[in-house]
Amino acid sequence: MTDLLIFLRRFALYRALTHLLATSPAFRLVMVALIPVIWIVLANAAPLIQMIAISFYTEYPVPVGEAPVYSLTHYQSLFERPLYLNAFFRSFVFAFAVTAVTLIVVFPVAYYISKVAPRNQRTRMLLLVIAPFWVSEIIRSFAWILMLANRGAVNSFFGWLGLPGVPYELLYNGFSMMVGVVYLGSLYMLLPLYSAIEKIDDNLLEAAANLGASGRHRLTRIILPLARPGIVAGCTLVFLLVVGLYAMPQLLGGPDTTLFPATIAQIFSKAGASWPQGSAFSLMLTLAALAIAGLFIAVAQPRRRLGR
Amino acid sequence: MTALRNLALPGIFWLFVLYLFTPLLVMAVMGFRDSNFVAFPIQAWTSDWYREVLFDRDIQESLWLSLRVSMMATVLSLVIGLPTAFLVARTSGLARGAFMVVIMLPAFIPVIVSAISLRIFAGRIGLETGLLAIALGHAVASMPFVVVMVLTRLDTMNRNLVDAARNLGADEFIVLFRVTLPYLGPALLGALIFSLLLSFEDFVRSFFLGGFEQTFPVMLYSRLRFGFDPGLAAVSTIVLLVTTGFGHFAGRFLRSGRGGR
Repeated sequence: MTDLLIFLRRFALYRALTHLLATSPAFRLVMVALIPVIWIVLANAAPLIQMIAISFYTEYPVPVGEAPVYSLTHYQSLFERPLYLNAFFRSFVFAFAVTAVTLIVVFPVAYYISKVAPRNQRTRMLLLVIAPFWVSEIIRSFAWILMLANRGAVNSFFGWLGLPGVPYELLYNGFSMMVGVVYLGSLYMLLPLYSAIEKIDDNLLEAAANLGASGRHRLTRIILPLARPGIVAGCTLVFLLVVGLYAMPQLLGGPDTTLFPATIAQIFSKAGASWPQGSAFSLMLTLAALAIAGLFIAVAQPRRRLGR
Repeated sequence: MTALRNLALPGIFWLFVLYLFTPLLVMAVMGFRDSNFVAFPIQAWTSDWYREVLFDRDIQESLWLSLRVSMMATVLSLVIGLPTAFLVARTSGLARGAFMVVIMLPAFIPVIVSAISLRIFAGRIGLETGLLAIALGHAVASMPFVVVMVLTRLDTMNRNLVDAARNLGADEFIVLFRVTLPYLGPALLGALIFSLLLSFEDFVRSFFLGGFEQTFPVMLYSRLRFGFDPGLAAVSTIVLLVTTGFGHFAGRFLRSGRGGR
């Protein structure tokens, strides 16, 4: 590579280019900024802006020869049909529930790995639990289908135990959806929690114990407050992940557990798709999700104390 | 409390490990069932599924498409992410914050919304659904992570290295290829594997931006909805092992790459 560049120095054009780069900060800035700015505008901003614009069109594509008509019809339509509104609320309730369950399940695990487990095994334990991180959403759904189906592993095990009433209906309902999505979200919760709890000074816990603080006191007065940034980050991550989830709820959920992303996808996939309505719904989902996450961070983020 | 520490916490930990790995093991085992139907218990065993499934035309084609998509997406996200990180590194304070918000945007909006907005946009600019559209969608998704990884490393770089090279007569391109890029090496490799995996695993964007051909996750999804055999469990297990191996490798690389801090 260097040889090539040195060879290129024979050409006046290359020399002019490098000279300009070295001497003109403005030119440098333009060269560095060109690709990123084009990309951000075209790939990050334009699709969203277009979606916002389309959501206000009464009809899209606009019929040939007519002027576009703008309205809020599609935003209102969310509130007019219980089918849509229920899915909307169900999505958020589900996301809250998954976030809470994930926090409760993962917190002791993160605490154990970062503080209680033998010191020389902590890294190995962490690697063990984050190993499935790169297993895709669809493969994980598949694995849970095999677990929970009527003739799946769990029912087969229950049958072997001789439990009455086997098979149980474990799949294609709220339960299987919950089990699968918690499975998906738990690693997003684990990493922030682990890194927050790991930073807590062991001496603090020891000092508290020496001064007579009970285990529960140490948890509520030291560990939880100091782990707060990790809790906030983990909950925000899981919440935002779950709100936009489409495939796993489709694969593991049932007919009465339709979430809002499925509603949106359905609007887009049916013949004569109403793109404005789908866009309006998408934007309301986004706004509500970001607003809730923002509010949560604002309320739950630890305030900076004096002296820090 | 001691009882809790000594018994309950390890108990919870191992239960969690059981929760993580049992479904995956069950899937791996199902791949050995000697039958066309997926069900427990397994009475007859065979290793044929594991041997034959990779010769299934549909599966081969979907894996090949996924591979091409993820390579394209990775090249794109690196080629664009790198200068973006350089650009952000030159700013500070409020400007940097604003920049990061715009760059991180695709990581925060719900995946389904991101996918559909790209689908509408692709239709608008006349980009056909398929390979290129999916790759662009994936590049949008992995760019934020590439920028963050490169930036983390770039922020620890000693500016004197660049100045010294310049004083010794290196032009801008030589500085880039001989000083900056080698320094960023670990972060770049990490970002490369990260965006390969992110693209290979993605379902939603591939689903909405895809044309007639299906990527592996999309193929898997449609078979899961419309009937499947133990062979699907076998191929899923193989894919799982390969991606997990790569992920582990990338993780190790990123951790060791932080040594400079």
